[in-house]
Amino acid sequence: MFEPKLKQALSRVQKPGRYTGGEPGSVYKEKDKVDVRFAFCFPDTYEVGMSFLGEKILYELLNQHENWWCERAFMPWLDMKAEMEKLGLPLYTLESKDPLTAFDAVGFTLQYELSYTNILAMLDLAGIPFYSRERDERWPLIVAGGPCACNAEPIADFFDIVQLGEGEHQLPSICAEIERAKKEGNVSKKELLLRIAKIPGVYIPAFYDIEYYEDGRVRSITPNEPGVPAVVTKAILKDMNEFAPPTNFVVPMVGAIQDRASIEVLRGCVRGCRFCQAGFLYRPMRQRDAGLLSRAAQDLCANTGYEELSLSSLSTSDHSQLEELLDDLNEWAPKEHVSLSLPSLRMDNFSESLIEKTTRVRKSGLTFAAEAGTQRLRDVINKNVTWDEIEKTCGIAFAAGYTSVKLYFMMGLPTETMEDIEGIAETAQKVVDLFYSTPGHSKGKGVQVTISCSCFVPKPHTPFQFVPMDSAETLQAKQKHLLESVHSRKIKVNYHDSKTGFLEGVFAKGDRRLAPVLVEAYKRGCYFDGWEECFRYDTWLQTFADLGVDPHFYCNRPIGLDEVTPWAHMDYGITHEYLVREYKKALAAQTTPPCNRACNACGANHLLGGPCFDYSQNLV
Amino acid sequence: MITVRIWFEKRDEASYISLLDLQRVMQRVLKRSGLPVWHTLGFNPHIYMTFSCPLSLGQESLCESVDVKTEAEAPDFAQWQQALNAIMPAGIHVFRVEPVQMKADKIAYACYTISYPAAAREALEQYNALEAAPVEKKSKRGKKEIDLKEFAPALALQEAGERVECSVCLPAAQELNLNPSLLTGFLEERFGLSAAEANILRTALLTADKTAFC
Repeated sequence: MFEPKLKQALSRVQKPGRYTGGEPGSVYKEKDKVDVRFAFCFPDTYEVGMSFLGEKILYELLNQHENWWCERAFMPWLDMKAEMEKLGLPLYTLESKDPLTAFDAVGFTLQYELSYTNILAMLDLAGIPFYSRERDERWPLIVAGGPCACNAEPIADFFDIVQLGEGEHQLPSICAEIERAKKEGNVSKKELLLRIAKIPGVYIPAFYDIEYYEDGRVRSITPNEPGVPAVVTKAILKDMNEFAPPTNFVVPMVGAIQDRASIEVLRGCVRGCRFCQAGFLYRPMRQRDAGLLSRAAQDLCANTGYEELSLSSLSTSDHSQLEELLDDLNEWAPKEHVSLSLPSLRMDNFSESLIEKTTRVRKSGLTFAAEAGTQRLRDVINKNVTWDEIEKTCGIAFAAGYTSVKLYFMMGLPTETMEDIEGIAETAQKVVDLFYSTPGHSKGKGVQVTISCSCFVPKPHTPFQFVPMDSAETLQAKQKHLLESVHSRKIKVNYHDSKTGFLEGVFAKGDRRLAPVLVEAYKRGCYFDGWEECFRYDTWLQTFADLGVDPHFYCNRPIGLDEVTPWAHMDYGITHEYLVREYKKALAAQTTPPCNRACNACGANHLLGGPCFDYSQNLV
Repeated sequence: MITVRIWFEKRDEASYISLLDLQRVMQRVLKRSGLPVWHTLGFNPHIYMTFSCPLSLGQESLCESVDVKTEAEAPDFAQWQQALNAIMPAGIHVFRVEPVQMKADKIAYACYTISYPAAAREALEQYNALEAAPVEKKSKRGKKEIDLKEFAPALALQEAGERVECSVCLPAAQELNLNPSLLTGFLEERFGLSAAEANILRTALLTADKTAFC
């Protein structure tokens, strides 16, 4: 039974099912019988958070320990946040309905820079002080992990612990240290953090001092405690087969955005697209065996009742046993009414049999990421896709009955000119023309080509970390030019607001001096910044101005090749020399081959202690 | 092929699952159960399902039902009940599985217990003393004025710990279906009883001659 105040709040809000828990697959334990309580917080709505595979992996993993209990909390939507504030309801986890302050550790996943203010909102709703220095032993440890941890500096002062890299071994190790400290009793927060600092990939922000030059650049990053590493190397799962994907999900009852079974077929990516942060953060590429995946997928569908299975990864078609995997899946999936979808396909190794195997049950639209409109620019960003491949792939798809194609592009890429922008429209037009010249194309309402164009945001740990982001004015001019270059009603153009991209760029490459800006912006009403209806650009600009912080310094300024970056003490396995080398090749429009064909010596092989691939076998 | 009626309670967490979401939840539960339920024969086969009488979001119930079909020869309904309860979301409990006896259009009334904090007693007694309780019912066909006293002339009050409960039976037929929120809304407007503090529990479904729907 819910407490009356919560019931009251639930009776007044939209989609109350987001705040109640109890979904099939959710884990309930007796709180008196557990030693470690972990609150896994997703700093966005339930629908977004429940689509996130990482949470499902860690939820299952932690709850496998009988005496640990991992529960979930999400950012309440505006109406619920207001009700909770009005009724004095602290932010609670969905399972026990206990406030976050009742937990030993509260973990946030950092998926997106524009969710940083939501972290503050969630701490605030729970009555937890923002800064780690304001929290003693009585407060839960506040932990963060996820891709944005690769430059956690703008939010570093809020967190006691930041986890770099993959959490499969790391998070249980942290919980084990917490359990040990609780059983010993009287372990100070500092002592506990010193112990946790020894776990691979753990970064304790308070143990590092940052010095700056007068012009604002970082002078030095120095550990201030003995035994703390000068550079933290990310944690990695060396063998993906050692860890089967989760076979149980919490199945949301209020529709999540990604509401389907999903198995991670591989991690990392061999392609080396120079704009792609994930492609560098998750190196080297490691894959799971087809047999293991098919069995795990079948168990997952049986345990959840899902009728749609997605093979997820950064680049699923790079799995060396993909055809074999699809054959295995097709052995049981149609009988069990399960349809397959492959969300990230590449154009260059898309085949007729692949189409046939994935659409046996249901035909959906095709999406391709061409990323840039001209071959020159695609070479700059190392997106090694050619028009011939686009033509071949779309030809196969159109002949197979597809009528809609979505093409992803970016604008604001390094060296980009208006000619490259026109190339986007021309590419889409050529796809339209191709449809009508393909024998056996679907008759009826014709073809629909959608151009989805986002603004390029340079990110840390990529070869483009050195380049300035395009100004808002330049991006807007490019968007306008793109619209003017499209001349067909068969082509639809979607583009993203350059203002949110700007803020994303600031926080992606920011440093610790941004923390007070986040706090002040939150106090002035900024949260859910990633949601158009909530984004208050003017408030942000005013806050930067009032605090005397120049946002353009962080994202509109070229970074020197020998400059100390705010993230210089975070090691994702890629050497600085490699990033510089790739950057210079980009400027010369030279490509780099996928790393499963030939090693390009990025340095990530050291994470595994040996070569990433068996180059004696042809993997592609 | 026979039609099977699965009776369940929908309480606590489950009371916040909307009808649309409940259809998907049941679809998945039935699939997981592995029970021999009949799938439609279309291009995208799915389990055939009918819910008898929709319940509003946030209200609880002791008497919900969903009908499915099966081609099984002699289904073991006790085993169905057990298999379903093992995997239902929190708040849904199956208490009976049986062959369908009446069609859903036989439902004429739904009975509710509405509970309020004990302090509400006075206002509820005032309601009982009213001559008329006009409310506006909105439907697809437009607005309609209804006198609640015609259907719920007096609320039977009963103390329940720190709360007071009242029981009421309202029309729940195709032609006229009165949501108990009309009553709690009226009580809020007229007497200032917060509708958000009312707990609504559906206790029974009745036919036109006031016998149990089954």
